[in-house]
Amino acid sequence: MVVTICIGSSCHLKGSRDVIAILQRLVLLHGLSDQVELTGSFCMGECEKGVCVKVNDELFSVTPATAESFFNEHILGRI
Amino acid sequence: MKRKFVTDINKIKYEVCVEVAKAAFEGNLEQKREEIPYTIIPGKTPQYRCCVYREREIIRQRVRLAEGHSAVAGYEDKNIVQILPAACEGCPINRFSVTNNCQMCMAKKCMGACNFGAITFEQGRAHIDPKKCKECGRCAEACPYNAIADLMRPCKRSCPVDAISLDEDMIVVIDDKKCINCGQCIVNCPFGAISDKSFMVDVIKLINGGAKVYAMVAPAIEGQFGGDVSVGMIRSAIKALGFEDMFEVSLGADFVSKNEALELEEAVKEGRKMTTSCCPAFVNMIKKHFPQVLDKMSSTVSPMQATARIIKAMYPEAVCVFIGPCIAKKGEVIDSITMGGADYAMTYEELASMFEAKDIDPADFEAELQQGSKYGKNYSVSGGVTAAVLQTFKERNEELDVKVNRCNGALECKKALMLLKAGRLPEDFIEGMACVGGCVSGPAMINKDRTFMKDRNNQIGKADDRGILENCDQYSALDFSMTRH
Repeated sequence: MVVTICIGSSCHLKGSRDVIAILQRLVLLHGLSDQVELTGSFCMGECEKGVCVKVNDELFSVTPATAESFFNEHILGRI
Repeated sequence: MKRKFVTDINKIKYEVCVEVAKAAFEGNLEQKREEIPYTIIPGKTPQYRCCVYREREIIRQRVRLAEGHSAVAGYEDKNIVQILPAACEGCPINRFSVTNNCQMCMAKKCMGACNFGAITFEQGRAHIDPKKCKECGRCAEACPYNAIADLMRPCKRSCPVDAISLDEDMIVVIDDKKCINCGQCIVNCPFGAISDKSFMVDVIKLINGGAKVYAMVAPAIEGQFGGDVSVGMIRSAIKALGFEDMFEVSLGADFVSKNEALELEEAVKEGRKMTTSCCPAFVNMIKKHFPQVLDKMSSTVSPMQATARIIKAMYPEAVCVFIGPCIAKKGEVIDSITMGGADYAMTYEELASMFEAKDIDPADFEAELQQGSKYGKNYSVSGGVTAAVLQTFKERNEELDVKVNRCNGALECKKALMLLKAGRLPEDFIEGMACVGGCVSGPAMINKDRTFMKDRNNQIGKADDRGILENCDQYSALDFSMTRH
């Protein structure tokens, strides 16, 4: 599964680096490194929804505070 | 300052970046976006194309790339190298064709050389049937008058990994599953129909927003802004742009040399082969075309990531921006978000545009700086990585008997990786550099003058002779990892 996190300036200011760190920690914790690929992207053009995260091609709006529940629901839920 | 450009394509790319940077610094890109095509292409007389409307559409597509989007709205993909469909002239697809040089000779060696019966004679003159031609090129070699021209599309010819094809309208298409972002097609398209996405606007917005943004300049920097402009002067100019500070990536390169030497020592002891991992296009080539040998790639991070980790160990809030001659580095940043290294990557072209937008000339400053050793600085020249890695053995008064294959350019890299994959590589260590000559001939260099290497070597000649290990020891108090995982 490919999880794409926007690293554009708007998402950066809304904490995309923190979202990446949280997701990475959870992926390692659940031993999913082989199944979940975390990758970055240029601005997705949906800055008001930031931090923009795409799972496969579906767009989600995630913040550092909601990153864990996002992981449980949309990443764990799909594996 | 007055800038010289390699071609008008580089000039137009620069002009677009300058206008976009100006508007981004002023915070009015939203309003200016639609004006930029008219600022750059005023009036009604076209300069290069059929009409000004097409020229302006090309500028519009270039503005989108400068903002980090694909050239056409709705056709986003992740690749760094992007096509500008409006600029592609759809070059002829039939590769070999007979020119007027054909002397209608008696020997007809071309016909004899063709194994596919593609050559016939019409009114005494050779003709190639494109349906039968297999593009082997034997006819062109056989003709004693050089009358058969090889018209392979320059984009396709320049691509080392066969990632380029054409759509039904003859417009170029890049297969992002094959593309290694080396940037050769960008340099080689004579119509400027291929270019790269940029993080420049993101970086400017972060600077405007007060983030602590640190620049990291790649080791090809010496001589980029002229023979008399030192790295210290460039640092002052970069700080004048609003960056918090600037570091030399040659510093990170010294740490890479130290770490990679330890890895190599281990590999040689165990009889394993190893490749470098600092050139991102070479890394992409391994990942996309030779995944079977991925385990042989050095697990040391690239000099860019090492430098970013050093900066973040000192300033945890730092936003680290790599600035270099390389296009593939932008892809490395995107692919390695979990590595805690560089946050963004830009090119020297984009840095020059930012200077112009703010009316800053590095030549106006006075300062000196040296953070990397001479060996780190020469990472940007083919053979430089190997020289630095081997130097660390000398500094430790040790010797390592290792056979090295210095691959100068993507084609040599491909050849060596094929041998490695087949288990027939005679050497122990591959130094992979996708650009012929090394990073100093990277696609986003701004100074490609004949005097560039002389200027660069002059400047590096003035640097002190510090050792690699001695240089690393200065930072021993910092805690950071040098491995990819």
